[in-house]
Parts: sequence; C-alpha cells; structure tokens
Amino acid sequence: MQHTLLVTGSPYQSKACHSALCFARAALTAQPDSIKGVFFYEDAVLIGNDLAQPPRDEINLKQAWQTLASEFNLPLYLCIAAAVRRGVINETESKRYELNHHSLSSGFQLEGLGTFVELMNSTQKIIQFR
Amino acid sequence: MKNTLIHLTSSPYSSIACKEGLDLALVLATFEQKVDLCLSDAALSLLTKHQQPEPEQGKNLHKLLDGLEFYDIENVFIESSSLAPDPATQWPGITSLDSAAWSELFSSYQQVFRF
Repeated sequence: MQHTLLVTGSPYQSKACHSALCFARAALTAQPDSIKGVFFYEDAVLIGNDLAQPPRDEINLKQAWQTLASEFNLPLYLCIAAAVRRGVINETESKRYELNHHSLSSGFQLEGLGTFVELMNSTQKIIQFR
Repeated sequence: MKNTLIHLTSSPYSSIACKEGLDLALVLATFEQKVDLCLSDAALSLLTKHQQPEPEQGKNLHKLLDGLEFYDIENVFIESSSLAPDPATQWPGITSLDSAAWSELFSSYQQVFRF
C-alpha cells in the first residue's frame, strides 16, 4: 500500500511536521516505496524556509526532512500559494514578484494543489498531520 | 475518483485555516473530485449572514458559499444542534443532520481533511 502524507500543522505551533517525519521514517524504513510523496499545506510550508535557523541545541527539522527525502528519493511538495503567501519563494517566483531574494530550501519544491489531487488519486491512503 | 469530506472547524477570522480548507475544496472540485463540506465549532460563524469584515479582519469568506454550486459542491453539512435559533440569520444552503447521521458522516468518505 502506498501512502500520501498531507502535513498542515505549523512546525512552530504544533508537532505535525515532527510526527509526520517520524511516521515517514518508520514507514520508509519498513518498506522503501510506502510513501509516494509528502504535501505540505497551510503553515506546514514554513518547513521549507531556508532562512530559518533553529538554535543549535534543537532538532533541525528542515534538515531532517531533507536527509530523509534524499535517502529515500521522497518528493517534498509545498503548496505554492500557501508558501508564497508566507515568504517561502523559489527562484522562479522571486523573479515573478521582482524580489531580490529567494528562500526555498533544497529538497523541497513548490507545486499547486493539483499535484496533491494527483497524489490523492494515485495512492491508497492519505494521512493528515495537523 | 475518491470522495472527500472537508471538515471546517476553525473560525474564519482567527486564522486562514478556514480559507485554505475552502481553497482545497474548490481545487478538488475543479479537478472533478467529489467533495462535500461540513462545519462545526468556530467555523459555523462562516454561515452567519450579513458579514462585513474589514480588510484587517480577513476576507469575507461567507461570500464564497453562494458560489459553491458552480463548483458542483452541493452538500454543506452541519449538526442539527448547530442550527441558529433564528434560521433567517444563517446561510440557507446547509443540510442539517441529527447526531447519529452526523457521527456516521465521517466514515462515509474515503478521506476527511480537517481545517
């Protein structure tokens, strides 16, 4: 069975991103193709902000997701509308809005909700972390 | 195609969760997915008529309700105990369910997303 993870809880106000990470790690370790993709929506898109620097004695959640994604070739999607609204911007969007900076971390990609619909229809189960 | 229930529980004015839940519903419907809505808790205030929020209070999401039918979103459920004492103050497109039907609602969809 293949899963899609929908993560909506803020990385700062909830444990959604932490719990989803633990679930994804356990599932992928048990069965490497058990998760087709992770879609971050609402405040969860803040996970992809490259400029955020957690204190050194705390978990670097963004890095933990990047490591997991690279180890298992797991796509990490951020909803583009939710991300741009919150200042998580890739190079293309930065040019579109005529900004001098971009802030999207490597390993994450901005995608529309249509990508979520495609994931929804091509996997057996979706699990929301909020 | 899967059938999806979007359960709104957040106030339209305390965060943008309600808006982002509605956005997801509209996108699902645009992609011809079967989607219904249900509202409870603070999200019920979305149904109150004659809302005139100032920009700093948030968008007037109530206005979106009349457009749902154009997306083929036909069902907006609430629990009958959440009906307004004066029905004239509440958006008329809702379907109210008794508590047994309300409880069963959540297991009759392949997926339920909460906002």
